[in-house]
Amino acid sequence: MKRSNPVAVLVSGLGLCLLASGTAPLGAQEARVDGMQGNAGAGKQYYRRYCIGCHGKEGDGSGENAQWIDPRPRDFTIATFKCRSTPTGTLPTDADLFHAITRGFVTTNMPPWGPLTRQVRVDLVAYIKSFSPRWKTQGPGTPISIPAETPANMESILRGRELFQKMECWKCHGPAGHGDGPSASTLTDSKDNPIRPYNFSSGSRFKCGETNEDLYRIFMTGLDGTPMPSFADNIQPQDAWDLVHFLRTLQPLPTPEAAAWHAWLPAHAGELKPIGPDQGGQ
Amino acid sequence: MTDRLVKGRSCLGWRLPVVCGALLAGAGSDLAATAPANRPTRAPAAEAGPAYTAYVAASGGVLPAAARVAIAAHREATIPAFARKYNMPCSACHTAWPELNAFGQTFKDNGYQIGNDRDSPIWLNPSYIPFAIRTTPGWRLERTTHQPVDDGLGGTVEKTLTQSGFDISGADLLMLGTLYKDITFGFVPTVEDGEGVGIEAAFVRFDNLFRSRWANLKVGKFELDNMLSEKRSMMLSSNGGFYQTYHFVPVGDGTDFGLGDNQIGAEWLGHSANSYTRFSVAVLGSVDGVPGLPSAKSSYDAAFTLSQAFEAGKLGLERIGLYGYVGQRATTFETSGGEPIPGTGRNSKGFYRVGAVGDFFLGNLELLPLFMHGSDSKDLAGGTRSATWNSGLLELHYYVSPQLVFTQRDEIIRMSRQADPATPKKLGNIDAFTFGYRWYPIMYSRAGLALVGEVSFTKTTGTVPLSGDGVGLDPLSPSTGVRSTSVLLALDFDF
Amino acid sequence: MRTKHVASFALLALAASTIAAGPAPRAGSVSGTVTFTGTPPKMMKIDMAKEPSCEKQHPTPVMTESVVTGPGSTLANVVVYVSAGDQPGPAPSATVRYDQKGCEYIPHVAVMHVGQPLEIYNNDQTSHNIHPLAKANPEWNKSQPAGSPPIKATYDKPEFIAVKCNVHPWMHGYFAVLATAHFATSDGNGKFTIPDLPPGKYTLIAWHERFGTQTQEVTVGESEAKADFVFKALPY
Repeated sequence: MKRSNPVAVLVSGLGLCLLASGTAPLGAQEARVDGMQGNAGAGKQYYRRYCIGCHGKEGDGSGENAQWIDPRPRDFTIATFKCRSTPTGTLPTDADLFHAITRGFVTTNMPPWGPLTRQVRVDLVAYIKSFSPRWKTQGPGTPISIPAETPANMESILRGRELFQKMECWKCHGPAGHGDGPSASTLTDSKDNPIRPYNFSSGSRFKCGETNEDLYRIFMTGLDGTPMPSFADNIQPQDAWDLVHFLRTLQPLPTPEAAAWHAWLPAHAGELKPIGPDQGGQ
Repeated sequence: MTDRLVKGRSCLGWRLPVVCGALLAGAGSDLAATAPANRPTRAPAAEAGPAYTAYVAASGGVLPAAARVAIAAHREATIPAFARKYNMPCSACHTAWPELNAFGQTFKDNGYQIGNDRDSPIWLNPSYIPFAIRTTPGWRLERTTHQPVDDGLGGTVEKTLTQSGFDISGADLLMLGTLYKDITFGFVPTVEDGEGVGIEAAFVRFDNLFRSRWANLKVGKFELDNMLSEKRSMMLSSNGGFYQTYHFVPVGDGTDFGLGDNQIGAEWLGHSANSYTRFSVAVLGSVDGVPGLPSAKSSYDAAFTLSQAFEAGKLGLERIGLYGYVGQRATTFETSGGEPIPGTGRNSKGFYRVGAVGDFFLGNLELLPLFMHGSDSKDLAGGTRSATWNSGLLELHYYVSPQLVFTQRDEIIRMSRQADPATPKKLGNIDAFTFGYRWYPIMYSRAGLALVGEVSFTKTTGTVPLSGDGVGLDPLSPSTGVRSTSVLLALDFDF
Repeated sequence: MRTKHVASFALLALAASTIAAGPAPRAGSVSGTVTFTGTPPKMMKIDMAKEPSCEKQHPTPVMTESVVTGPGSTLANVVVYVSAGDQPGPAPSATVRYDQKGCEYIPHVAVMHVGQPLEIYNNDQTSHNIHPLAKANPEWNKSQPAGSPPIKATYDKPEFIAVKCNVHPWMHGYFAVLATAHFATSDGNGKFTIPDLPPGKYTLIAWHERFGTQTQEVTVGESEAKADFVFKALPY
């Protein structure tokens, strides 16, 4: 057999590699948000400065301080993220991660990193993606499509209230959204750490933002890694806005939904069936 | 906090024996050395009170040439208590502690609140007490040239004096935190061997008044909102840890003022959400931070700062700022039995400082240029016209990593007009250069340690250097450049 | 000369018969019994008071199922599968069914091939959320109210995935996703049979959710091969 020319093999191999890299999609070591490109190499030094104390050198959420933090810092190696615009079980988009870093997570130790420049935050997104091999084999999920918000009137709120009952949200969140439902005390996250459901009466921001659209995304994509499931299979997109409007009435915030609710309630409170298990066992 | 190993110029510093000896001798301006230079230490500002007023009184209200009483720099805030409370590494808030980065600046502006419902009321976990301590033991060397010493034959000869050895600094007890949501407190006593306790900072701050981050009110004793903070300086040596610009007054000028000194008053501060835009306006007592109402009755100073930061892509965050300080000091006092009565100063005359400052990042290189124009009225400056001067400095920090930074500073001060036309134009001019590094072998949330190495040179024309050691006397000729050198190797602890 | 011809002819015939034999001869199987030594942990009664619609489906309380034993120290719910020696093949097209009934998962362990379709049914009058805690595979969490259509899923990587319902914390089950189509689960008597195994040498792994794994080599001929597994049980 004729011995193949090693040089030819090398050159053609290199050529193939170059060809492949040129046509490859955005690599897992890079991120793109709002036209800015992030680079994991640059992100690494920012991670060491800002993130390593909690999230750890390996990105597995076991930094120096993690043992004293509740809830625990995110483990990037399993690539499960709470705040996404993509369906449950899929990876978030770069923008999802960017906004999570910028916003921080209320009632946790994750601060809002807004004072960092946008370039730094995009670089951090790129570096975070390097901790899990899933980013190399899978791209992010397709963001769910959110229809335009329906009017926040009493019909919508009452339909939302029925959904709250029917979807059994009260089992964890409690009939008044106080986070005291029958199953609330036994909830654990995916790492078996105890976790509490969101308490609407606290009025604090949601884990994933503070607008109606953020709230919509929370229950239509679920908070992966926590007991909060996705209801995308069970609620029609337009009906989901009804639930959003009802949930707003549970919060002590000056929202139009709460205003409408409190104006309507005194005259009609008797018409409401109480939320909870006495509804014929739905 | 006691100024680590920075020498200062207060009455209670090493000049005390000299100056007070003069007082006792009843001599106004004859400041012959009557005591050897003691171990150089700096007095906390508070303790300068009684001796200071007596001194002012003895000087007839105007301080003579050699005894500039600008209070030198004290060191301040890196707060492991915050790191413990929020479980974050020091590098999250500090470029290299004690200097703040953008995130730490926003945290401070927000009233030491992160803003994720974990702040208030004070959220206590077992490892958080709002208390941290900073202290710096080490080895240092000080050398000053052209020091007039007795030649043993009744005359005076100029010699270079060198001292070196192990030394400790005092300790700063840093107590800063939140009393309640949007109410912040700060209390920083300083302890120094032989000098007792001083209070460097004591204030309460009301944050986010009217639910707006543009309305924050701080009352008490605190550092001015200088972009280039002397209290957070990366340098610690006698000459290096001292911004000549912040403390300079011309020869013959008795104004007691230092822009880097903590002042007593009330400050209104506003900032944007990420603190890219910041401003402050303050009304302060005309006392340079000395409590006890020692100087002019009902006399107030004012200060302002203004800065804007903008993102520069991969280079980082760039910030430019303006600042100004306008003040007045009394020139005469009421007397009782010949002794001046504190707080009864009259005939206040004015002075101002104004300038621009920048904080520029080129990747890992940080440039901090500062320009200042200063002017003291003729009565304060002891002449027939107001004294004016300009100073410029450029400080560089190179961050090899969050745990290793190299520093360098160049500073020049040039008189543009002496108060007395007969005074040589160059009298009092200063050149200063400093080189240093800080290496943080450990940087945990519970404690920090920096290994500091520094060498600093200053050249002062014709007069006693503002910083460094020496006998505290002018050189024999007003055109001599007196060189003061500091070398420092220290362990900077913060826990 | 003649011998040579005969020999070569015989060789040829042998070769022909081997080739003509086509695919493997009648496939064998492996069967066996899974037992344990030592003391297993006691199973606890499940209190379903928080879900009356399920509680009333069980006249006597249900026990936890992490260790299910049978007569003669046998062990149920042990997944026995071929880890080496067989050829990879396409995923079976048969759907694996996983039921939520009476607030329990039936079967306790659902075994499937990588890529094999899985359907999860909610037969109860209450909502469940189905939350497989996958690590190598994507982790998802979906709500399934009473009367909803089944949830369809597949898994692409071999993994033993714990499944739980957050609303009903006593519900525990497993998905065993395997790279082989040759597997079986031990029944209430600890017995299992893996059918349709071509003759050859295989490595079998037996997996139990509490007691770990046991490995065994087995040679399958044309008849049934035997492979028994013994687990060491610990009371905790």
